[in-house]
Amino acid sequence: MTDSLITLESIAAHAPDRTVTVQDLAEPLGLNPSKVRLFTTMQGLKELRQDPEVDLFQLVLPAARQIVDALPSKDRVKYLLYGHATQQVAPHGILPAQVLREELGLDKAIAFAVTQQNCATGMAAIDIAGELLRSDGDPDARALVVTGEKSFTPGVQLVPDTALMGEASAACLVAVDGPGDPVLSYVTRTLGAYANGVRLGKEKAAELGQIYPDLFADVMRKAVADAGLTLDDIELLIPHNVNMMSWRQTIKAMGFPRERTYLDNIPRFSHCFASDVLINYDTLKADGRLVPGGHYLMASVGVGTTFAAMVFTHRGT
Amino acid sequence: MDRQHMVGTIQSALSGVLEREVPEVSEETRFFDDLHLDSTSILELLMALEEEVGFTVDPEEVDMDDFVSVATFINYLERLETT
Repeated sequence: MTDSLITLESIAAHAPDRTVTVQDLAEPLGLNPSKVRLFTTMQGLKELRQDPEVDLFQLVLPAARQIVDALPSKDRVKYLLYGHATQQVAPHGILPAQVLREELGLDKAIAFAVTQQNCATGMAAIDIAGELLRSDGDPDARALVVTGEKSFTPGVQLVPDTALMGEASAACLVAVDGPGDPVLSYVTRTLGAYANGVRLGKEKAAELGQIYPDLFADVMRKAVADAGLTLDDIELLIPHNVNMMSWRQTIKAMGFPRERTYLDNIPRFSHCFASDVLINYDTLKADGRLVPGGHYLMASVGVGTTFAAMVFTHRGT
Repeated sequence: MDRQHMVGTIQSALSGVLEREVPEVSEETRFFDDLHLDSTSILELLMALEEEVGFTVDPEEVDMDDFVSVATFINYLERLETT
């Protein structure tokens, strides 16, 4: 922990209206009946958002605009970080972070992308934003973290046997020592041996599957300890929406109760790349489930393989 | 279904899940160490058998320790049959 804390000033999320079910995706993704049952019964997926008529910027901008439009001055935003898991989200020649900066009218912001942590990129971007703001020194300076991407090909839509990728976006306004939710800790661990991600091969994937729950649990326990807390102090674990089975195994390894693990958005949205934990925060806040003074643990894994966990306290209003 | 018959049924379902011929399996065959199955392949096997053998799995009660080997898998299926 450092003396100055990152604070999460506001978080917003957006998803296209069009819904598809797992069964709808069976034919286009070549899922046989056993695989459909694997996703629906064991992995707990039901439906997800996907709209081929909505382009990348139509998907990403609405969440960001919810935050930017509420700012007293856009000039306070010094940094725009676009976190995305798919390396190439737009055709060659288009720099999405710069397009977002222009569309949002953030003329004073330096804009760039963060991608290397894949689906754990959202929290990495928050951490980077905090470091930039600490260096900046202006107490009124803000950074905007934006996430969201299209599942535009079958290869992107399906992580074999593990996840079906949905479309949604999120945005998070970051400050240092601001009035928002203070981030008490951030822990990340990358296993370079599994950098091939979805192209690991069966044997290596099986090996990773064996060690995943314990390693992920260790990263989350360390984040909680670094925050000066114990697991009993955590009101809710706010996870990424990869699938139910992975989380059942992980919380068992961690010794964390199922009833304090927020899994309700898995059947609603499925896994939306780097946006999940921010989407879940937004849903929980809208449902009045974030308690003022409560401590929360956000956790995600990026293929490749990066484990990330962040503890924050909800200040509330 | 007796245990010997169960081994044959698992072997046949495994071929379907892996979409390839599987070498002869016995109760001692270990899914991870011998067949290099990952956990999701084992769950897919469970789904394939659920339909074929006719039992119902409660996903909240699934424990991967039950799927170390063909023998532990059959023990699990036998427990399902008796509940």
